[in-house]
Amino acid sequence: MINKQMEYNTLLQKLKDKFGDSILSADDAADFFTLVVASDIIKQLISFLKDEQNFIFLTDLCGIHYPEQEKELGVIYHLHNLVENKRIRLKTFVTKGNPQVDSIVSIFSGANWMERETFDFYGIDFVGHPNLKRILNVDFMDYHPMRKEYPLEDATRSDKDDRFFGR
Amino acid sequence: MKTINSEHHLDLTKEDEKVFSTLNLGPTHPATHGIFQNILTMNGETIVGAEQTIGYIHRAFEKIAERRPYYQITTLTDRLNYCSSPINNIGWHLAVEKLLGVETNKRIDYMRIIVMELARIADHLICNSVIGVDSGALTGFVYVFEEREKIYEIYEELCGARLTTNLGRVGGFDRDFSAVAIQKIRDVMKDLPKVLHEFEKLLMRNRIFMDRTINVGAISAERALNYGFTGPNLRAAGVDYDVRIQEPYSSYNDFDFVVPIGQNGDTYDRYCVRQTELWESIKLVNNALENLPEGKFNAEVPAFFMPPKEEVYSKMEPLISHFKMVMGEIDVPEKEIYKAVEGANGELGFYVVADGGRSPYRLHFRRPGFIYYQAFPEMITGAALSDAILTMSSMNVIAGELDA
Repeated sequence: MINKQMEYNTLLQKLKDKFGDSILSADDAADFFTLVVASDIIKQLISFLKDEQNFIFLTDLCGIHYPEQEKELGVIYHLHNLVENKRIRLKTFVTKGNPQVDSIVSIFSGANWMERETFDFYGIDFVGHPNLKRILNVDFMDYHPMRKEYPLEDATRSDKDDRFFGR
Repeated sequence: MKTINSEHHLDLTKEDEKVFSTLNLGPTHPATHGIFQNILTMNGETIVGAEQTIGYIHRAFEKIAERRPYYQITTLTDRLNYCSSPINNIGWHLAVEKLLGVETNKRIDYMRIIVMELARIADHLICNSVIGVDSGALTGFVYVFEEREKIYEIYEELCGARLTTNLGRVGGFDRDFSAVAIQKIRDVMKDLPKVLHEFEKLLMRNRIFMDRTINVGAISAERALNYGFTGPNLRAAGVDYDVRIQEPYSSYNDFDFVVPIGQNGDTYDRYCVRQTELWESIKLVNNALENLPEGKFNAEVPAFFMPPKEEVYSKMEPLISHFKMVMGEIDVPEKEIYKAVEGANGELGFYVVADGGRSPYRLHFRRPGFIYYQAFPEMITGAALSDAILTMSSMNVIAGELDA
């Protein structure tokens, strides 16, 4: 446990030396080392982690929406250091008006569809993505359904007649 | 040969249109084994570009999960990789247990290993026999499907369902393995090796099968990692990444098993890796069953575990916890976790952001199939159409998991 703490601190120090104030906060109490970073350094940071810290595997990339925050939309990256078997979680937040985050497809080919999915559901604009279009929803959909302002249909509504649905 | 960017295959110039033809493979095609479309650009019989369309069976699981109590999300996971639902179910239970900080005893762990490995066997049997089917060898498929049917009968005995199993509960199981279930597992484990041997004799060193699969749809270890491959597909390319070893869950570290790896990352290697894993899974099931410890089949997590019905009607405490659970009045710590299990086709991850409420604030499924399927165009460019079909079946792409 203490070792883990030291590893985290070493890594955090390295990142702070390189990226300075762009590392907004760090949390070592979570299941993985978690960093919140400014959206403009995300590409360089991931590139640095991959090339110099052995985080060679992009496990997951997804979006999140906190309507009460000033920067409402978030992107969450899970990277895996397969050499030392360590994981790291990166978060970055952007406003709804300017949802631009640099695409990391040039670093990880696997990010292509993950970013498309995040764009599809949260409307995050991945700058530099080769083919940023909807992936799971229909092309003509004009909103991003996983945002919190689109609630699921009220489960208790009674104006639907089940007979019309074959039930 | 002229190659074109797959993304722009529809903007062909007049000249190119004379050379290339466009072929729609799917959305419904018997050889794609699921609902997804590939628009192939062909130069004669050779594929020069492919564009995939997915999402035909998107069911918005992540959105639905934001309104469901945690224990009701298990049924959503059934429908991801529906060839091995029990792994998804138990993976989700493990994720919730990580969130709650619940420890399970060895009996639960071993029971889970038995169920998960049975599911892995069923999944690999389907995938490998379908590779045979797509290369024109239907016989093996018919052989092994009988065994798969027997595994489904075990599921029935354990939980009452076959395909969408909803097996187990947060904190363990809803009931213990019955004597019939244990007998059925023993019977399958006794018969399966014989059938597998026979199946291997049909394909493994079959000249036609080898010619059809070796060097077909190959991907290098480096590209596979870059694409986020996991599971047998990554191991076939030569990377020994297995979540069961890297981050042992459910007491996998009590067992001795081999993680097979391939060399070329081609269709044949993927087939061989799965085939070897089948033998390892049989070993795991037998070992776990033999050493099944005594103990309770569920941990004490009253907020998630339905008390026995007769107690609900006669005792106060079970009535309260039953009511609280059904109404979703449960205490969940405010934190976020990522929990991965080794699904039959790769690392199945659950990223849960809990805000303390009755349902997750955000739930994201890391679906292995969704991530590795995007490498498909790269893997088939330059190949013939019939090779593309084999490559796809050997990747074990499941539509339910792609679309979530």
